[in-house]
Order: sequence, then C-alpha cells, then structure tokens
Amino acid sequence: MTCQRCSREASVHLSETVDGSRRELHLCGPCARKAGLAPPDPPPNAALEAIVDHLIVQHVGELVGELARASCPLCGQTFMEFRTGGRLGCPNDYEAFAPGLLPLVRTAHGASRHVGKSPRRRTPPGKSPGLRLRARLREAIAREDYELAATLRDQLRQEDADR
Amino acid sequence: MNLDALTRTSGEWLRGTGPESDIVICSRIRLARNLADFPFTNRASDAEKTEIERVCRSAMDKAGLDLDYQSLVNLGPLDRQLLVERQLVSRELSNGDGPRGVAIGPRENMSVMINEEDHLRIQVMNSGFSLPDVWEQINDLDDRLEEQLHYAFNPQLGYLTACPTNVGTGIRVGVMLHLPALANTKQIEKVFRALHKINLAVRGLYGEGTQADGDFYQISNQQTLGKSERELIRNLSDVIPQIISYERQARQEWIGQRRQHLHDQVSRAYGVLKTAHTISSSETMHLLSSVRMGINLGLIDDLEIRTVNELFIHTQPAHLQKIQGESLEVDERNIARAGYIRRRLLEGRHDDETAD
Repeated sequence: MTCQRCSREASVHLSETVDGSRRELHLCGPCARKAGLAPPDPPPNAALEAIVDHLIVQHVGELVGELARASCPLCGQTFMEFRTGGRLGCPNDYEAFAPGLLPLVRTAHGASRHVGKSPRRRTPPGKSPGLRLRARLREAIAREDYELAATLRDQLRQEDADR
Repeated sequence: MNLDALTRTSGEWLRGTGPESDIVICSRIRLARNLADFPFTNRASDAEKTEIERVCRSAMDKAGLDLDYQSLVNLGPLDRQLLVERQLVSRELSNGDGPRGVAIGPRENMSVMINEEDHLRIQVMNSGFSLPDVWEQINDLDDRLEEQLHYAFNPQLGYLTACPTNVGTGIRVGVMLHLPALANTKQIEKVFRALHKINLAVRGLYGEGTQADGDFYQISNQQTLGKSERELIRNLSDVIPQIISYERQARQEWIGQRRQHLHDQVSRAYGVLKTAHTISSSETMHLLSSVRMGINLGLIDDLEIRTVNELFIHTQPAHLQKIQGESLEVDERNIARAGYIRRRLLEGRHDDETAD
C-alpha cells in the first residue's frame, strides 16, 4: 500500500472514527512524522550502544536512562557494571549512583539511615583528596603523562605524610 | 608465621568451652571497613592494593596490635586452604589475586583480612556463646585501627562497603551451632524458615554455599543498616537460646523415645572412627557429629569435646596433608585420615579410661 501523501510505501496505518464515519490513514514514515503521528527519528550514529541507550530511555524512562549512562568520575565504574557485578568501585559511588543505589539499599536493609557507631575522623567520600589524586594519577598513567604522574605521586605521599 | 605449627595447635574457638558449648561451637563477629582514599579492592590496581596493604599494616603496627601478618601472594594452594579450613581467611581471600593477606592474633581468635572484598575484614571469634565479649574485643580493635586509619564513612549510610548489602555498620554477627537432633528429626527446616522471616541467614561450616556437613550451622544477621551494632547483636542473642532449647528438647525426646537406638548409633559412629582404615571427609564429619552429641548426652564418657572439635578441622584435606607432610590424592587422604583419627582417639581418651 502506498502513502496517501506521496508515492512511497506506507508504514504507518491509522484508523479513526469521526461523527460515526470511519476514516483510514496510510502514511510513510517521513509523512507520518511531519503530521506528528510517528515516533521521532532514530538516534543519529545508530551504533548498538546508542540504540540500546535510546531504547532504555524510551521504554524504561529518563531516570533509568540517566543511570545507565552514569559513571563515577573518581573510579570510572558505571552503574550498569555495578548492576552486573554487584560490587561498587569506590566510596564515591554511593554519591555518584545515589538515585539508583538508595532504593536498592532500602530494599535490602528495610532502612536507609545509619544508626550505629561512627568514626571520629570523617571526610565525605567525594571530598577525599586521596581518592581524587589517585583518579588523576590513573588518568595520567593511561595517557602516558609520566611527568604529571610523578607530581601526583609526590602529592599523594605528602598527603599520607601529613596524616 | 609458621603455618605448619597450625597443625599442632588449635584455635581458641575450638576449645569446646564457654557458655552453651555443648551446642554453640563459637561466636563470631566481623566488621567490613574501607579506606576513604582508595578505590574498593575490585577496582584497585595492584599498585594501589600494595599501598592499601602497606597503610593497613603500618596502622596495625602503630596501634601496637599483637598480630602476625601473612601475605597470601607467595603461599601455595595447600597453605591458603589451611587458613580457610582454620576459619582465619575466607575462600574469597584465598582464591583472590594481587596483593592481599591476613593478620592473625596469637590465639587465633582475631584476624584482619586485607584486600578481601573490602579493604579490611576484621574478625573476632570466641569459643561458646559469648557475643557481648566478642563485640567488646572487636569494637576495641576497630577503635584502635580507626585512630590510625581514615575509614570511608558517610553520615547517612554509615561505613561504606564494596557491596551495599554490608553498608551501615558493616557488621556480621554469627554463631556456629551443632544441631544434630534438629537435623535428624527434620525440624531444622522449620527453624530455618522462621529465621529467614526475621532476616537471619543460615549457612554451612565454611560460609555461603557450603553444606552443613557435620550438622554445623552458622546463623547470622543479614541487615546491616538502620540498627545499631548492639541491637543487631541483641537480635541474634535473643534468638539463639531458643534454638539451643529446641535442640536440647529434640535430643531429650530422641533419647527418651529411642535410647537404645540412639546409644547404638553413637557407639557405632565411635567404633567406626576408632577402627576404620579408610574414611572420606564427609563420612568423618557425619560420624564425628554423632560422637560429639554422644559425649554431651553422657553416652560416651572417655573422650573430650575439644578432641572432637579439633578432629572436625584437622581431618579436612589441607590440614591432613600438612600433618602428613605431603600432597595426597583422595584415596591416599582417606587412608591417612583414618589412621590419624585412630591415633587421636587413642590419645584423646581420658587418662583414667585409657588405663583400663
């Protein structure tokens, strides 16, 4: 069946009843989109990852889509890696993945607030200078920027000595 | 540390003494802790794991702890298995890779694993049912380490751990019970179902996924967040006496209804252990379980509980091979095991009885 607005093959078939009379509409993809009757264009660069990402956003919702893309800036672990392997990458992941992680924690423990003992010394994990310096050190080594790596290593030693 | 020496000694938790020690083998608490400045172990490079190991060892030294450190990197599979059988390290640490190790207290009642799933897994074990004592010891150890280390902690979520199932207190409170009568009368499944409903887990002798060989069961908390350490300990402390009382009741009913049958079962088990020339690890556990119950019911009076407790551990494959001083195939192990048990049962008999 051809499109009622151009000569291409129709891929969208709609029917509606207006004042008791039934009307059928057969359109090709582009004409249907122009008429606002079809989903938007598929994502550009339709690599498998992008398609999966797109499907997740479309079908499961924006929050899950964001989580699927979430990764920790300090250790590089992604939320999806955590969901697959069950282990987090670093203390900062609890903040990086909070929207997805807190519901899981609540389900597992039936609670979401710690009421036990606390250490006297505390630094919020995202603010830990060591964790940040180590993340930069890993990046520098991966880039083979050994000069920066040496500087960062010295800074880490200094941090350690200061403690 | 001389691992060969472990085959000539037994840990504090095998003493067979302490409250309710006829049924409770030992009480154990472990705390999961991580350093704030490092990625968790599974994400850490070998260089970072070496650094974690160095930082933790230095903290233990500075805290003046009397612990003996054993790196697992250069240990062969037999020695690593020995530490697992001894309950000093987990299978995960034994089978892991990269820099990792364990610091062990002089009486084996304390161990600190480094670079297990979490940077530190602190453990204290005592013979018998003594969770408050164990908590006091481990809390003190944790405080002393905490003065030297910078733990990953978040005010809302508590101690941060690699797996969210441990977050919060990071505590696992466990009691190892010997429950042959409940197992024999199949009432144990009812107990498990009830425990499951109140968020307690039941595992075998060597933890998750292991069978309850020898009718040993570890009961522990699953929840680690939302309750304080003391509340979690109290929860378990309230439940365990009920299980102990069910087991005692089941034993009494058993002995009341079928005394001769039970006496026969216990005596045959003891007889096989004293005379067998080849025996598998599984049969050994099964027979030792009957003998252990027989001693507690007064059906065997020439053997100490401690000897039986030790035999449970010393007849495991790695212990046995270390004792024999050679690597053995399964058939050879079965023969060596039978010989070892015969010798130990002869030595373990009370002096007045052996003189008869």
